[in-house]
Amino acid sequence: MALALLAQAHGLHPAGWMKAPAATDGTNDIDYHIAMAQLAEKGKFDLFFVADTPAARTDNLEAWSRYIPYMNCLEPITLLTALAGHTSRIGLGGTASTSFYEPYNLARLYGSLDHISRGRAAWNVVTSGNNYAARNFGEDKLAPHAKRYARAKEFVEIVKALWDTYDDDAIVFDKANGVYFDPAKFHVLDHDGEFFKMHSALNLARCPQGQPVIIQAGASDAGKELAAETAEVVFNSDDTPEAAKAYYDDVKGRMAKFGRTPDEIKVLAGLTPTIGESRWEAEDKHRTLQEMIHPLVGKIRVASDLEADVSDLDPDQPIPLDRIPKSANLHTRYFQQIVAMITEQKLTLRQLWLRYERGNKRVVGTPIDVADAMEEWFSLRACDGFMVIFPTLPDGLEAFVAGVVPELQRRGLYKLDYEGTTLREHLGFRRPESRYARSDMKAAG
Amino acid sequence: MTKSNNRLALALLAHVTGAHPAGWMASARATNPSNDVDYFADMAALAEAGRFDLFFLADTPAARTENLDAWSRYPMYMNILEPVTLLTALAGRTRHIGLGGTASTSFHEPYNLARLFGSLDHISKGRAAWNVVTSSNDYAARNFGLHAMPPHARRYDRAREFVDVVKALWDTYDDDAVIFDKEQGVYFDPSKFHPLDHDGEFIKLHGALNLARSPQGRPVIIQAGSSEAGKELAAETAEVVFTSHETLAEAQAFYRDLKGRMAKFGRTPDQLKILAGLSPTVAESKAAADARHQALQDMIHPVVGYQRIGMDLEADLSDLDPDQPIPLDRIPKSANLSTVYFEQIVRLIRDERLTPRQLWQRYERGNAPARGTASEIADRMEEWFTQGACDGFMLTFPVLPAGLADFVAEVVPELQGRGLLRREYEGETLRDHLGLNRPTSRYAAPEVRPAGVAR
Repeated sequence: MALALLAQAHGLHPAGWMKAPAATDGTNDIDYHIAMAQLAEKGKFDLFFVADTPAARTDNLEAWSRYIPYMNCLEPITLLTALAGHTSRIGLGGTASTSFYEPYNLARLYGSLDHISRGRAAWNVVTSGNNYAARNFGEDKLAPHAKRYARAKEFVEIVKALWDTYDDDAIVFDKANGVYFDPAKFHVLDHDGEFFKMHSALNLARCPQGQPVIIQAGASDAGKELAAETAEVVFNSDDTPEAAKAYYDDVKGRMAKFGRTPDEIKVLAGLTPTIGESRWEAEDKHRTLQEMIHPLVGKIRVASDLEADVSDLDPDQPIPLDRIPKSANLHTRYFQQIVAMITEQKLTLRQLWLRYERGNKRVVGTPIDVADAMEEWFSLRACDGFMVIFPTLPDGLEAFVAGVVPELQRRGLYKLDYEGTTLREHLGFRRPESRYARSDMKAAG
Repeated sequence: MTKSNNRLALALLAHVTGAHPAGWMASARATNPSNDVDYFADMAALAEAGRFDLFFLADTPAARTENLDAWSRYPMYMNILEPVTLLTALAGRTRHIGLGGTASTSFHEPYNLARLFGSLDHISKGRAAWNVVTSSNDYAARNFGLHAMPPHARRYDRAREFVDVVKALWDTYDDDAVIFDKEQGVYFDPSKFHPLDHDGEFIKLHGALNLARSPQGRPVIIQAGSSEAGKELAAETAEVVFTSHETLAEAQAFYRDLKGRMAKFGRTPDQLKILAGLSPTVAESKAAADARHQALQDMIHPVVGYQRIGMDLEADLSDLDPDQPIPLDRIPKSANLSTVYFEQIVRLIRDERLTPRQLWQRYERGNAPARGTASEIADRMEEWFTQGACDGFMLTFPVLPAGLADFVAEVVPELQGRGLLRREYEGETLRDHLGLNRPTSRYAAPEVRPAGVAR
């Protein structure tokens, strides 16, 4: 079973930061993140993962000053690079949007991270962000969903080609003859596509993993297609094993037409554990946190994922169904879940923000309860592992590493130690051959 | 006068195996060090032992895609770690030295760049510097959907706007905006948070940086332009300027010129440090240093020689006989890339009527060579520093890390003995080292006027 940590500074719960044990904010303190990464490595996690949106919100600040995702965060690639020097095994993954980067810059940044970490880099390909992000890059709002995915597909293809610029053995460093690299093993990309036009070669030797690991999380049809074609790790945020199983089979079933086998993707299900020594203690922890959600934050949280303004609604009346937009432009899965809660359970706004968990399997209980849930999902083949999303950090991770990890190990579900040194080795992936090596083989055959 | 004004500033241009085209062939390493972070960590530690102010990485966002017979022998920028990631990795392996890197305003988005360097400043606890360049080359342009670089003037207009936007983004949060009030559930004070509305010629942005103000307030801004537009931009926005002049008189003239332009932007001369490019080779005698240099020059392969002069002359000379004087009609009218390098190379052709081979053996790409004993090199540095030619030096070594090791062992103690270089770091941040003020946020309340002073 593969494990990834979603490493938001203080945890994912809207009130998580208010429960931080430290008196001062660790968000911008590299030592805080180093301690967290080392703890995850102690728990033999495969991947330390940093989500991202390239924007702070610029309005509704009374709410966003209380609920702070992405309002103040170290930039992921720099953070991960800094962590590379203070860890030795754990994979280092981060989000970067294909809508707001240039492929050349991004290929350099993640390629460089892979060299610096000696083969532990992973890039989570996202197309979105939000309209705040769009406005940081000269757009009024995000491009439509289909257009973003079309750009993403082209973008990923270019980045992977750039990572193959040099063959693995291209740098000969022949001092006697004055030849640094073999020009025959250096491949210039000529690309003339819908979104990008490039005549280009990456100025970086092929990296230890060949290519950094590609992560995706799309739940839309376009997202699943892109994942089946290009992703190696997929995050899923379903909240029931049945839905997760259907997603798992769907994504893996799409792979054959791209010439891929199902073991070339690891599907990681989102898991949100609240761990206590007893169930009562865990439930108390959870309830306390939920009740700390400020009404302004409750509304903004619902509004973000419903993609509709609900601030004028009475918090204690059922949400009118005509306030539900026809479709999502941002996170399809979150949108579908929140719409289902409104239409099926006829919740009031307050009930909704107290219950809504932004997708994912929630477990509130003892380490045994958490391990049971994980074993159930894993043995059903609803996932290949989990993206663990703690409501509060670092205490949630501490409890998990102390209690859940040994239990999983005892059950033979989880490795006792790292066996390889690269992220690909941890995940059981082949090192990708260069596209130029493959064509040589075809030519020879 | 503060201590920092009595002391010269030292920056290291940390170009993998050195700046000389044949430098990598003289490397002591058996294997390629370009992608090995430990190699750079050792080099940064060496510079820190020498009490340097700044470890600096130049950059071009491109590998060359043609003429590979030459570029495979002269691998400048052909295989390098990306500067921001490398500097971030080095932040954890050093404690004091400043960490600067080049990023082009032509090929980045301001929001991404503000995040990357702002984040580096947090992670390094106040040691980040950004070298603002507008250019690079047509290879880079083709990595970003363009056929060729935009013209010089357009690039500088964009650069001015870009730098202004990035600095404003760094001021998004006031220094005391993040209050982390867990009791009241308020993480930051919204009145101390300033979204930017910018609608300019090149950049349109309505946004706020998602990063607390960094330890230095803003990373240090470096520039190197020597064109008229470059000097104006530097006088307005730069805090460190790299120059490359061959003679004391030229350097003095540039120094007076640039510092003289600052007043009209409301700046004082001490808030800009001019670092002269210097390429030292330390040996037991001048003759020994010259011999070491000549040995390197002799290692330049003819295809590399043509490439090197062709690049800075911005003209292809590879069809010429290496041993006949270069015809003057092969000199282009003006430079689009680096003005300084272009002018130097043109002067060598025009005034000395060199052949291609003589030219590539003589041409040193700007930076004045200093070859000799430690005391001779220190004399040279002291002269330039005390005669108003510079505030310090950007040192480029023909061969790294050997040249740096010699310099730290021999010249650094000499400079320290003369009181020109610190023996220990006294401050924490790069601004502390350089004697630069921590910039006040543009949104900071104007200082309260003394009571009784009329409006």
